[in-house]
Amino acid sequence: MNETSKGLSRRTVLSGAAAVGLAGVARAQTPAEVKVGLIVPLSGIYTRPGQVMKMGAEMGIEHINAQGGIKALGGAKLKLVVIDCGDTTEKAKNAAQRMVAQEPDLVAATGAYLSSFTLAVTEVTERAELPVLTLSYSDLLTDRGFKYIFQTAATASRQSELGLPTLMKLAENASGKRPKTVAMLMDNTATSVATAKALKDKLFAQEGLQLVVEEVWTPPLSDATPLIQKVRSAKPDLLLFMPNAVSDAKLGLEKISEFGLGQGKIPTVSFSITIAEPDMLQSVSPETVQGIMTIVANWGSKGHEALIAELKAKYKEPWMTQNVISTYGDMWLMKEALEKAGKADRNAVAQAFRTMDAGPSKYYPGGQLKFDEKGRRVGAGVVIVQWQSGVPVTVYPPELAQAQPFWPKKS
Amino acid sequence: MLRMRSLLPPLLFTLAYALVSLGVTNSYYQLILTLVPVWAVFGLSWNLLSGYTGLISFGHAAFFGIGAYATALGQIYFDISPWLLIPVAAMLGGVAGLLIGFPTFRLQGHYFALAMLAYPLAILYVFEWLGFQEVTLPIKRDAPVAYMQFADPRFYTLLGLAIMLATIVLTQVIERSRFGMALLAIKQNEAAAEAAGINTLAWKLRAITLSGAIAAAIGGFYAQVLLVVTPQSVFGMLVSAQALTVAMFGGVGTVWGPVIGSVILIPLAEILHAEAGARIPGIQGVIFGIAIVCVILMAPEGLFWKLRDLLRKRSAPKPTVDVTPEAAAANITALKPVARQRAAKGDVMLEVKNLSRSFGGLKAVQDVSFKLHKNEILGIIGPNGAGKTTLFNLLNGFLKPSQGEVLIDGRDMSGQRPHVICEAGVGRTFQVMRPFLRMSILDNVVVGAYVRARTDDQARKFAADAVARVGLSAVADRVAGELSTKELRLMELARAIAGQPRILLLDETLAGLGHGEADEVVAVIQQLARDGMTIAIIEHTMQAMVRLVDRFLVLDHGAVITEGLPEVVTRDSRVVEAYLGKKWAGHAAN
Repeated sequence: MNETSKGLSRRTVLSGAAAVGLAGVARAQTPAEVKVGLIVPLSGIYTRPGQVMKMGAEMGIEHINAQGGIKALGGAKLKLVVIDCGDTTEKAKNAAQRMVAQEPDLVAATGAYLSSFTLAVTEVTERAELPVLTLSYSDLLTDRGFKYIFQTAATASRQSELGLPTLMKLAENASGKRPKTVAMLMDNTATSVATAKALKDKLFAQEGLQLVVEEVWTPPLSDATPLIQKVRSAKPDLLLFMPNAVSDAKLGLEKISEFGLGQGKIPTVSFSITIAEPDMLQSVSPETVQGIMTIVANWGSKGHEALIAELKAKYKEPWMTQNVISTYGDMWLMKEALEKAGKADRNAVAQAFRTMDAGPSKYYPGGQLKFDEKGRRVGAGVVIVQWQSGVPVTVYPPELAQAQPFWPKKS
Repeated sequence: MLRMRSLLPPLLFTLAYALVSLGVTNSYYQLILTLVPVWAVFGLSWNLLSGYTGLISFGHAAFFGIGAYATALGQIYFDISPWLLIPVAAMLGGVAGLLIGFPTFRLQGHYFALAMLAYPLAILYVFEWLGFQEVTLPIKRDAPVAYMQFADPRFYTLLGLAIMLATIVLTQVIERSRFGMALLAIKQNEAAAEAAGINTLAWKLRAITLSGAIAAAIGGFYAQVLLVVTPQSVFGMLVSAQALTVAMFGGVGTVWGPVIGSVILIPLAEILHAEAGARIPGIQGVIFGIAIVCVILMAPEGLFWKLRDLLRKRSAPKPTVDVTPEAAAANITALKPVARQRAAKGDVMLEVKNLSRSFGGLKAVQDVSFKLHKNEILGIIGPNGAGKTTLFNLLNGFLKPSQGEVLIDGRDMSGQRPHVICEAGVGRTFQVMRPFLRMSILDNVVVGAYVRARTDDQARKFAADAVARVGLSAVADRVAGELSTKELRLMELARAIAGQPRILLLDETLAGLGHGEADEVVAVIQQLARDGMTIAIIEHTMQAMVRLVDRFLVLDHGAVITEGLPEVVTRDSRVVEAYLGKKWAGHAAN
């Protein structure tokens, strides 16, 4: 019995190797599945971005597996483990602890949308030596000296450093003159505060902009009238409007429109994806948002047409936000690291992320698939998105632009 | 001995918990095991203020957050170890308690609760404005233990347990002391507590200071466990609500309530999150909410009290076989009404001069003057609305007189706070009884004894004495909720005399009693007078009063109609008219 089965298996192996090459042997020795984690809010007030990130992750996994899985692991398939990190920092921390304790096979994870949650999650994963990719862009995330966090987006301060000069150039090209005065309306969430700090400390002076109005509110915004009144009387060349909640964005934009400042009378720019979320159209008309720009870390762009079409067909999402494309890209990045590591081991994968140099990135704007010693992606850029006829489209950088930007002209 | 016996359950519980947690190696379960004592302690700190005084605080996150931020910022900016920062946080929390309590205790009931709600929300914005939206504790790779950073999460659990044990013991000590008695008295009836000689504001301030200190300490520890501090995670509404949830679920006003609540709810929420939430995201909140609603509906005072009542019911039949109500009653009726030698007029204990009080246009008491002599029983009678209770309220400080003086031992005490007047030797009982239903008779009475007693032991002695004087010794250990009206009246009387007053103001002590029962109470009052007490009593029941009092003071429409010996006063046509109308006044004259 023993003899024959041995012989049989040897023969099978041999014929298998002949048929499909050496991959068959490799499969017998390595796991058929490699688990990667997605830890995002799927309950509470941040559910929507979490769901969108899940769409991106699922599409990524599907495409990778359809194209033969992880080749270095004999075509092992990726398996997504989804963990709800809830809507508080404590829940996020507990969820992360659960993830590392209950899913010891995870080789990498991505999450957790809000930077506060990512901070808490990575406090746990760092200690568990689990590499985590994140699209959160708080500078603090990668300022802690952590070894297992990899930030794919440009940090908040970097985004403003990159975004503002680009914006100024855009304005100059389109309207023929450089803006000189700027008004800034912002909420006091961590990302807005970090962006504003970079702007005020350095960038306004560098770009020769004079800050004429600065107003901060605590979400939720109850009445935008006093804010917009100040803007109207100051008549700045540029308005930076930085909400992080759709309801705040709606209130502000409607008031801007009501005061006759909309439609580009005062060019309005934001620094978050909130203002370009599909939810916006449920509360404001396409005319209200027409021409409004936002500087974001990632967006569906030129080269992603097939993906955008698939997203529309499969999930009924009208366009591809940062949350989808970045999470989709994270799956490919994990695959890349697994191929490089050659084994399904979290420390090997982390080391692969650290030493990776995989050329230009396909799913993140600018730079390389390479991380610096802090865990920040080298050369991470920004994209500028503009509302055009009811759709926020990428207008900058040119190589990613889906449409030409137009600078609203003062009438 | 008593102390040891009460220490044993928390010690055993902590030990058992520690043993269980040492056996758990899964780091996720460990974290949950750490969070249970954290929220239990937070619930206990809430309970210390709100559970015992009944002043509901919706804003305990204020203290929790101050502690968390103090611990986090101290490490980031000054590189101080949390071992030092947590005690500092406790001090800050105590100071915050004092600062918040002082203005807020002017409010009561819902107003207090709502005002408390404002503090954490206001502080939350301050911290956001200061730029502390996200604060992370620095990793100390070289000296982790010196900075309370343990590789093995079980140390956090043990530390949390130690804090919990300390808080439980502290709460138990308070519960049994004058402090706890004062807080309980405030919860039942703040006015009555003042009248029993308790400086309510001072005790409430002590309670909120201590409560704030504990909340801040555990907030600091929480920051150490969570490693990330955001305003929402320590000052948010959900944090304040967590304290209420664990305490109300487990049982308010008992040391075990928040512990039970936390032991059940925290793991339950996590299990739901992990199990149900993984299938239908968001469902965990719905199930959790429904579970809490059901328990609150079935056990409105919390699980602890419900379980205790059930256990009591099961074990109750035995003692009642031994002590039948008749037997207990027989003990009380040992004192028989005896005609008393009328006291000769002694020194003036209390003198009222031209006392008036009006509410808007209504003159509730006008120009009342009388003297109360040592060892006399003065009956104050008059029809409903004559101003009798208002007069008492003026005498013991609940109301400030618009005019006139109240001289106690020749010293003007009008306008003083009730507890000051009580300390001066004036005790009183109330028309509406305010027993502390869950406490034994003796414990009820102890509350009144603290105004004179210097130590807890002395208070218990005074209380036992007072209980004996009203003839309730045989039932002293029974819970007030099981007593008859007569026994409750006697218990109230005992509470008043436990404070060793020289003057006793009795407000309708015989109301609601049957004929025979009234006689028993009258006998007790007479005995008190024989023992040297000076008594003023308000009463409707003429029959009992005529036999009881030395002198009558008759009020109508807030003014004194007449004053004098019972036989004279009851024949006075003005008195009959006030009680029965003009028609009967004529009959009386005939």
